[in-house]
Amino acid sequence: MHISEGILSPAVLIGGAALTAAGVAVGMKNFDQKEIPTIGILSAAFFVSTLIHVPAGPVSVHLILNGLVGLILGWKAFPAILVGLALQALLFQFGGITTLGVNTLNMAFPAVVCYYIFGNGMKPGTGRSVIIASAFGAGFCSVLMSGILVGFSLYLTGEAFLPAAKLMVAAHLPVMFIEGILTAACVLFLRKVRPELLEEPHVPKQST
Amino acid sequence: MYRNNRHKTIHIRLKTKVSCLVFAILWCWFFPVSVSAHKVTIFAWVDGDTVYTQSKFSGGKRVKNAPVLVYDPKDVLLLEGKTDKNGMFSFKIPQKTSLKIVLKASMAHMAVWQIPVEALGGTEPDNAAKPDGLRNSLRPSSGSMDVQTQEQVSGSSTVALGKREIEEIIDASLDKKLAPITEILADSIHRGPGFTEIMGGIGYIFGLVGIALYFANRKRKR
Repeated sequence: MHISEGILSPAVLIGGAALTAAGVAVGMKNFDQKEIPTIGILSAAFFVSTLIHVPAGPVSVHLILNGLVGLILGWKAFPAILVGLALQALLFQFGGITTLGVNTLNMAFPAVVCYYIFGNGMKPGTGRSVIIASAFGAGFCSVLMSGILVGFSLYLTGEAFLPAAKLMVAAHLPVMFIEGILTAACVLFLRKVRPELLEEPHVPKQST
Repeated sequence: MYRNNRHKTIHIRLKTKVSCLVFAILWCWFFPVSVSAHKVTIFAWVDGDTVYTQSKFSGGKRVKNAPVLVYDPKDVLLLEGKTDKNGMFSFKIPQKTSLKIVLKASMAHMAVWQIPVEALGGTEPDNAAKPDGLRNSLRPSSGSMDVQTQEQVSGSSTVALGKREIEEIIDASLDKKLAPITEILADSIHRGPGFTEIMGGIGYIFGLVGIALYFANRKRKR
């Protein structure tokens, strides 16, 4: 999923960086102090998730966990994923500093979309099967959207869109299922241990 | 009684499920069966008049059937080819300028390796001017080479070895001696992320959390 340096055109890089900056700004707005440790822990989980490899035919891909990050953090997924990706770029040379903006956008934007689509399933009082289905959907769709966005970034630079996107999506198909299952397992676990973590972001805040 | 038993079996089942999950995650972590697609690297070295390249994903899996493009310093495409099933691709040196070798692996991965002009300098292919006999005599192992050079000097049929011939002898033996080292170097370049980097990254994140909490706290106190 990490786009290397030197592939995308400067316009795409700048555009991605600008959109990421906007996303981070939205995420940092009305930032509650209590949420800081949660953001940090999810950022660390995202950082480590790339090390869990899933062999998928000729290539092997790794988990991304952006669905889980999005479900719990919403717009705050932008700062969390930015930090994780920056460290991956600095320590492992995955991606790169110039592509940081585009890579963050490609992974954090689907997280935010999943927050809005599947977040309803996290509300208190929903049935177990609904929760499992929404968590699976979030894990599955976030990876799918990330793949499509990477294909789209390549398309904007001049590569043919369909082959690039198809390849990305096909290669990540096993990851989508695994991410879906893993996200569902995590959500079920969190619901048992710390339900407020899941429910809080989806309950409309009382105006004080 | 019956109910209690049932409860127990469910509990045990859950336990085995959780331990299976933990085990699976750990297994994936410690035995990266095949390799990630986070990063590709290309490593190129010059041997005689040929440039060899080796391409790998981070972790060691070879990059198969990926296009390799060779550019001159002005970014003009000189030649292109594909890696074989061992991730290798070799080509004759097209011209004596520095070369930029670009590997384009699938899924937005790319790697670049530069060959400086000095690395190609000693491998001029223009040996037509030299008598063939002399060239052949310089090729065998270093032991006999000494004898032959001495013979030639004592015979004084030719002027002592030219600069170019000496360079060629040195290059030939250096290539031979350095071959294992270049291989080791090629292997060491393609290593995945280590334990220290992973721990370091997690530490950084927790450090950032601490800093953020510190500032959030200061704001509240005011």
